[in-house]
Amino acid sequence: MKKKVLALLLTTTMIAGLTTGCGGGNSGSNANDTSATADSSASSNNASTDNASGGDAAASSDDPWANVDTSEHVVITYMTTGETPTGTKEKYDQMMTELNKILTEKCNAELQTYFISWTDYLSNYNLTLAQMDGTVDLVGTASDWLDAWPNSKNGAFLELSEDMLKTYAPKTWASVPASNWELCKYDGEIYLIPEDNYAQWTNHGFIYRLDWAKAAGLSNGVQSWEDMTTYFRYVKETYPDITPWDSDGTQYAQMAGGWIASHSDYVPIDGINSAAMWGGTRGDLYTVYSPFATDTDSLVEFAKMMKEWDEIGVWQTDVLNNTSSTNRDDYRIGKVAAEQHHTQTWTDLVSHTPANTIYDDDPNAETGFFYFGQETGNVTALSITHGAMAVSAGSKNPERALMVYDLLRNDPDCYKLFCYGIEGVSYEITADGLRTTPEGYNQDTDNINGTTNYWWGRNDDLEIPDATRDWDKINALYDEYDKIKIEYPYGQFVAEVDNIRSQISNINEITTNYMKQIAFGKYSGTAEDIVAEYQSALKSAGIDEVTAELQRQFDELYK
Amino acid sequence: MGKTKTKVKSNYNASLTFFQKVKKYRVLLLMCLPAVLFFLAFSYAPMPGIWVAFVKYNYRDGIFGSKFIGLDNFKFLATSGKLLSLTKNTILYNLAFIILGNFLAVFVAILLNEMRSKWFKKISQTIMFLPYFISQVLVGILVFNLLNYDTGFVNGILTSLGMERWQPYSNPNVWPPIMIIVYLWQQTGYNSVVYFAAIMGIDGEMMEAAKVDGANGFQRIRYIILPSLKPTIVILLLFALGGIVKGNFGLFYNIVGTNPILYNTTDIIETYVYRATMTDFNFSTASAVGLYQSVIGFIIVMTVNFIVKKIEPDYSLF
Repeated sequence: MKKKVLALLLTTTMIAGLTTGCGGGNSGSNANDTSATADSSASSNNASTDNASGGDAAASSDDPWANVDTSEHVVITYMTTGETPTGTKEKYDQMMTELNKILTEKCNAELQTYFISWTDYLSNYNLTLAQMDGTVDLVGTASDWLDAWPNSKNGAFLELSEDMLKTYAPKTWASVPASNWELCKYDGEIYLIPEDNYAQWTNHGFIYRLDWAKAAGLSNGVQSWEDMTTYFRYVKETYPDITPWDSDGTQYAQMAGGWIASHSDYVPIDGINSAAMWGGTRGDLYTVYSPFATDTDSLVEFAKMMKEWDEIGVWQTDVLNNTSSTNRDDYRIGKVAAEQHHTQTWTDLVSHTPANTIYDDDPNAETGFFYFGQETGNVTALSITHGAMAVSAGSKNPERALMVYDLLRNDPDCYKLFCYGIEGVSYEITADGLRTTPEGYNQDTDNINGTTNYWWGRNDDLEIPDATRDWDKINALYDEYDKIKIEYPYGQFVAEVDNIRSQISNINEITTNYMKQIAFGKYSGTAEDIVAEYQSALKSAGIDEVTAELQRQFDELYK
Repeated sequence: MGKTKTKVKSNYNASLTFFQKVKKYRVLLLMCLPAVLFFLAFSYAPMPGIWVAFVKYNYRDGIFGSKFIGLDNFKFLATSGKLLSLTKNTILYNLAFIILGNFLAVFVAILLNEMRSKWFKKISQTIMFLPYFISQVLVGILVFNLLNYDTGFVNGILTSLGMERWQPYSNPNVWPPIMIIVYLWQQTGYNSVVYFAAIMGIDGEMMEAAKVDGANGFQRIRYIILPSLKPTIVILLLFALGGIVKGNFGLFYNIVGTNPILYNTTDIIETYVYRATMTDFNFSTASAVGLYQSVIGFIIVMTVNFIVKKIEPDYSLF
């Protein structure tokens, strides 16, 4: 009998455990949510009262915040993607001490950083935001790679009223043009502060050894995907020890997107799904289509060429299970012959920096860049919200967070400390006003630029160009881009995906599955078959419904 | 023998007030307390959180403030068109794990029991137990390093023997056996401990009596040990069946990773949901799936328990 009772007890508890299932973590966060809701409403009340008092005399003195109550010393936490400093910890701490002296003096606040490690960064980033308990105040975000809009919709970010911005971030408010603020609005409210005064290009392409390409008979370097095939074939034959491109299995989306950019006028919309499968064309920006569903011939050609690459041995046979490639660092030391990434990365690899030892080992070494869209001149400039700062809705001190951000972005001393570290330790300014590394500089312990990852408010007015970069080559490429680029046309468009979420989830899944096989040439059967199979799967997952829904939303916004 | 005694005792118990009972059994209660607290905190308290599966969750309004949208969150599973094959994979793998796992565990426990050298027994038990402590991530890496095409251990041996290389990462059909072998390698040592303990608990008199009656080793196993293990086996099976729609995410995700060529035979509910919802970070959909699995698990446990009760009432859980 006792045994029975025990069994009964055990079973009820077990069933209870089963039925709650995934509910586990959620009720805890719910408790937090309620308190956070209370907090944020309380703080926004404060904000409005402060506004009223702060607005009166804001212009009357040098200190823009003379009338803001900063009597209480607060700690502002800034969230960024990146690894918690280990090697650079000492220098980082020194820098933060210096920085916090200034911040304390100017707005009685100090800054600390909350690092989101690169492993599973997106999940951890979103989870941290979901806590809403004031863990973070300032949030580095991005509309195309850090879910800025979904989080705005989810209520993770605080609406930034014009009054708030004018009062607490006056310099930033003044420096961002009204048209750019428009692009940071969702439903009439500003959620993001854009990094709109920083020139950078993050369009992708293949970084390769120009000197080897020339030896392979491509005297102008690689100009097309076909040239890339020639190049890989040459590398494999001439340097049998080198893996032409030690790719990992995640590159499929960039490759497919790159192929499409190179063979059409497609302009993708950011932030709908990771493969950016919907967009318009340069000639007709506001008619939505998905080249993945319609450009059959082009995709078949892509599948064939990738099969050829696979047979050449461009990547490892088990590339799909390869998750931890060190390809970029291998490129620096000459162990591989190509890297797929964006222009910003190329500006590093093309330059003779201490880390890039290929230039020491071989004086003839040169690095070229074949950017996707080169054949058709199809390059779109970066959206201004590729880097942006938001304030967490759970923040207890949103006003002070904005003040700190205003300083980080516009105050030369704060900016230099936070971006480059302490002068003379982490960087030095040359006679020509360029930034270089001081004597005895050690990349592993002194590099602050690669530690703070401040990619959400860089400012070309304060930037000091890096002397180790090969600016002749870089500027030449930038000039070329400027001739052919169009501005990102869909900045104002924030897709409402609630009704089509399950279709998009399934389309993502299908695309991942098929595109991995196509982009690495790992399919069995013919290229025609696999593409047809892929496209019919897309159809049954409802890609037409998604396209139609996006078109409807486009028409509402742009017509 | 103790009929009157029990009756007296229970009468006596009934006459106690609740607090007197608490006092009387305080030691027993105290011993229960951690388990009770554990289940209260981790199973009962979060239960209202199931609600999240029925709302369009947003951070600011919280679980109960968010908009109710009924079964919309379940739509995603249904429209994927994969629900059947995913559930099938999950259940078949778990069946294989449960049946083979228990069979092997009983087998190993009996072997251990029959070993006469204490020293050898301890060593082999430890060696079998060890894999259980290896993290699934490492297991995934081990498997990859054994089997991969270019630098794998197995292929190294094959080429040095002049044979053709084997390409398991492009062939979905070889994976069910691989997954099962890896699972058994990891779990058998641990599972066998339970059975080994049950065997230790068998009355020594019975064994001696059997010996005296002239039963040989095999007969003792067949007629004494196995029947004595039957209740344990049934209870463990029932427990395991409750989780039959819950896949072993760690094992599958770490070994198969995101290699779509192998999904046909290796994709289980967990891995699919992880991939599909990771990109848009949707608590609600994930909870909907969890609920779906729990409900099916609940139904299976109830059904199986019902059947067991019909056949052998003593072995049923409740």
